[in-house]
Amino acid sequence: MEFTKILTRFENIPNSRALATYEKHGGYEAAKKALTQTREEIITLVKDSGLRGRGGAGFPTGLKWSFVPKTADTVYLLCNNDEGEPGTFKDRYILELSPHMLIEGMIIAAHAIGAKKAYIYTRCEFYDEIRWMNEAIAEAYQAGYLGKNLFGTNVQVDLDHYIGAGAYICGEETGLISSLEGKKGQPKLKPPFPAISGYLGKPTIVNNTETLAAVPWIITHGAAAHRAMGTEKSPGTKLFCVSGPVKKPGVFERPLGYPLKKLIFEDAGGMLDGKQLKAVIPGGASAPVLLPAEIETLTLDYEAIAAAGSMLGSGAVMVIPHDQPMMELLRILVNFFHHESCGQCTPCREGTGWLASVVQGVEEKTATPEDVEKLYQIAVHMEGRTICALSDAAAMPTKAITRKFADELKRSIRGI
Amino acid sequence: MADTVTFTLNDKNVTVPKGWTVMQAAKQAQVDIPHFCWHPGLSVAGVCRFCMVHVQGARKLEIACNLQATEGMIVRTDTPEVKEAHKWGLEFHLINHPLDCPVCDQAGECGLQDFYMQVGKYKSQMTRPKVLKPKAVDLGPRLILDTERCILCSRCVRFEEEVTKTGALGIFDRGDRAIIGTYGEEKIEHNYQENLVDVCPVGAFTSKKFRFKQRVWFLQEKSSICPGCSTGCKIKVHARTDRRTYYRVKPEIDETVNGFWMCDKGRDTIAHLNREHRLPQSQMRIDGKKQTVPTAQALESLRRAIETAGAEETALLVSAHYTVEEYEAFFHYFCDQLGVTKVYQWRAETEDRDSFDGILLRGDENPNTAGLRAAMRRVKGRTVPIKNEIATCVSKKPKVVVALCPEVPFTSPWFQEDLKQLAGISHVSLWTCRYEATEVAGITSWIPMKGFAEKTGHFLNYEGAKRELQEAFPSATAEALSVVEAVQQMAAIATITTETATL
Ligand SMILES: Cc1cc2nc3c(=O)[nH]c(=O)nc-3n(C[C@H](O)[C@H](O)[C@H](O)COP(=O)(O)O)c2cc1C
Ligand code: SF4
Ligand code: SF4
Ligand code: SF4
Ligand code: FES
Repeated sequence: MEFTKILTRFENIPNSRALATYEKHGGYEAAKKALTQTREEIITLVKDSGLRGRGGAGFPTGLKWSFVPKTADTVYLLCNNDEGEPGTFKDRYILELSPHMLIEGMIIAAHAIGAKKAYIYTRCEFYDEIRWMNEAIAEAYQAGYLGKNLFGTNVQVDLDHYIGAGAYICGEETGLISSLEGKKGQPKLKPPFPAISGYLGKPTIVNNTETLAAVPWIITHGAAAHRAMGTEKSPGTKLFCVSGPVKKPGVFERPLGYPLKKLIFEDAGGMLDGKQLKAVIPGGASAPVLLPAEIETLTLDYEAIAAAGSMLGSGAVMVIPHDQPMMELLRILVNFFHHESCGQCTPCREGTGWLASVVQGVEEKTATPEDVEKLYQIAVHMEGRTICALSDAAAMPTKAITRKFADELKRSIRGI
Repeated sequence: MADTVTFTLNDKNVTVPKGWTVMQAAKQAQVDIPHFCWHPGLSVAGVCRFCMVHVQGARKLEIACNLQATEGMIVRTDTPEVKEAHKWGLEFHLINHPLDCPVCDQAGECGLQDFYMQVGKYKSQMTRPKVLKPKAVDLGPRLILDTERCILCSRCVRFEEEVTKTGALGIFDRGDRAIIGTYGEEKIEHNYQENLVDVCPVGAFTSKKFRFKQRVWFLQEKSSICPGCSTGCKIKVHARTDRRTYYRVKPEIDETVNGFWMCDKGRDTIAHLNREHRLPQSQMRIDGKKQTVPTAQALESLRRAIETAGAEETALLVSAHYTVEEYEAFFHYFCDQLGVTKVYQWRAETEDRDSFDGILLRGDENPNTAGLRAAMRRVKGRTVPIKNEIATCVSKKPKVVVALCPEVPFTSPWFQEDLKQLAGISHVSLWTCRYEATEVAGITSWIPMKGFAEKTGHFLNYEGAKRELQEAFPSATAEALSVVEAVQQMAAIATITTETATL
């Protein structure tokens, strides 16, 4: 499968984070080019490229940008670098390799949507990445890539780096906006959507780090080059984070539509000796688990994984070995969502707590086999009922595990 | 019409102004949509997720409170999916609820109970221990908060943000550990505390004053107007007629004046109506000793005193606590028929009459200053400046004074002290509901008056708007009269005595 590395093209290049290195490899040429183009031209190009949001939902990026009212005076661009989805460690890798790629992507995106001010929102745990990003921003300012009159045009883009406290819910775009506004990190009711009324009530576009970092390459190489990789509905490349007992876990940039088994068994080196594959979570903690039979021919693109009943999500491929008790996995998952629910919507607040409590009952030896079905029912009624998708994120894996591993879960409850 | 939209709600065509939500439209069309967090006087929070409706063509159920009605939209509140969502919505609300209805003041008027009967009636699946949270938290002079009963609808938080603009309340922590509270040890001390009890759809916020006093199903309610200040908030007075006891006051929705709210001061305007504070029967001072007499006797004696002294030696001292109808009857009888011309206002000597707290409360502590002023303009033929005229009245050395006393004690604490000025006037007749009036020396007679909740009529508020006391409770004291009734009685006696005299 032929493809060009976009996001990880600085792998194996020494001193890759430095501005000089980035410039030597054509850095900021795309921004220079884009700033001579009209907003519409860039949006059309990004639409044509088929780029989809890499934050989890896969929303078409160009289309999202086009929702910003053309007449708006103040518009904001926010980079979602919260990377909270368990199993996901790709955005930080971009900062590790080339933070300037993100800055350049943000300059282009800001110009396309008419934003003079942009923010990167990073969780505080990314200690080194925060430092690297800050250094890159300082360099970019010094070189005149940020600020007023960029590349001799009248375009202005200012960029700030905001450090969040590390709540999963602050990665949800409106939770991120609340947090950035200095409020408790709670998602906002939609409508209105952020593109109309977001940060400080102004039109706002929130994009994932990986999404924005892909933009310069698309400007330079064109929509067709991007579409040449991946599938028709999922063009381009994507970062996949492979974790679990495989020989070479890590981040892999692969074209969308790439075979999942090839990723696990060739690129990631296959299972550790003595481990066999029991299941795969293909797109982060909120993605339903898939059984080995379900991934036989599965390809890593939005449509194929959806058709298999799961989702590509953030591209976090979690490999589950034969000796992993599913009750334990379920417990870890529901405890995570219980801990992270912001609590404003009743089905999510109560539902995540209830799921966690029922699973806790297994440990307390008060659970009954019927609880497996109860978990499923609770999850069913948490789904599609809330302000943000955290409730769904808790419900979907619960439904999958309680359905696909019902017998095993019942056995754990009975203690056999 | 461009500024309305028509859509279908359970097969019913509903036309509402553009921009309305399905929830607002449903209210108007009297279609019930169960809800907790939506409140017509507050912004939309969309958090309880209870108001689910089915919209034809939509991928999933929508919340009615944040769903704008659009032309041709087809909405149903009764599909099996919606019913299931309501049932589960309620179950989610109740899994951690303490279900202490037997000791909860809200029982009988609780959203959880009501909706359980309406859309719930399931067998709970919750078998796990509940999340425990602080109970009976003292949050202010009038407030107790039970955070376990709280369903985190955020109405109270929004009230503090949007109405009092104090932002006093917040939701602390998250998930099912979330808890309503103030910052640090702060207490809520503003004059609108009990609205929190009203907006709270469950028994989380309870009123210290009403707490454990009465089960709400024993209460009757009557629509009236708060006599606490010149705003004239529309209220409902709650009482037990079998016990002749007043228990609480609640605001009644009135878009033009008070919206959904009232102040705490207004909530206290019923205390004086209860029997222990009331002048139960007419009294007269006979040979220096106070005696209970039939009202007819007291009124007849007043009538004789006026005849003896002459109308020109008679003065009327009138507070602004009575209705327009009462002033009409009073002045018609004393001025038009008997010929009294000395008419004086009676009110606080010093007052910050034009002050306004920016929400509802005004500095004029009289409910009917405008009504009294208009009535006086008629009998005097000129507009009088608003001020306390008791001293002027006394300086004119009248021989008879008929005083319509201020009704609400805590807004007229000067009442007894002012009355001392009347000592020395040969016949002073106090028309009052206040028992404390009998403690004043130098008074000739006391006629028991009805309180505001015991009569109909209207006040004119600070801007001259008609504020109607729509319904009346039977008086807590059997003999109490409205001014209208007292005047009728006096006129009737007078007729009889004249007739007897001519016989
Ligand atoms: C609970 C929750 C957590 C999320 N966390 C992240 C995150 O950490 N990073 C991210 O980019 N998107 C996250 N998202 C998705 C964002 O809401 C949003 O869709 C995304 O940032 C949009 O960017 P994109 O269009 O470039 O994908 C999260 C969504 C939910 C519901
Ligand atoms: S779904 Fe959960 S996390 Fe999302 S807004 Fe509602 S309560 Fe908060
Ligand atoms: S205290 Fe009452 S009003 Fe406030 S959030 Fe809880 S239930 Fe709602
Ligand atoms: S504002 Fe005035 S009229 Fe309204 S409740 Fe308070 S005291 Fe009564
Ligand atoms: S009333 Fe609509 S979500 Fe609460």
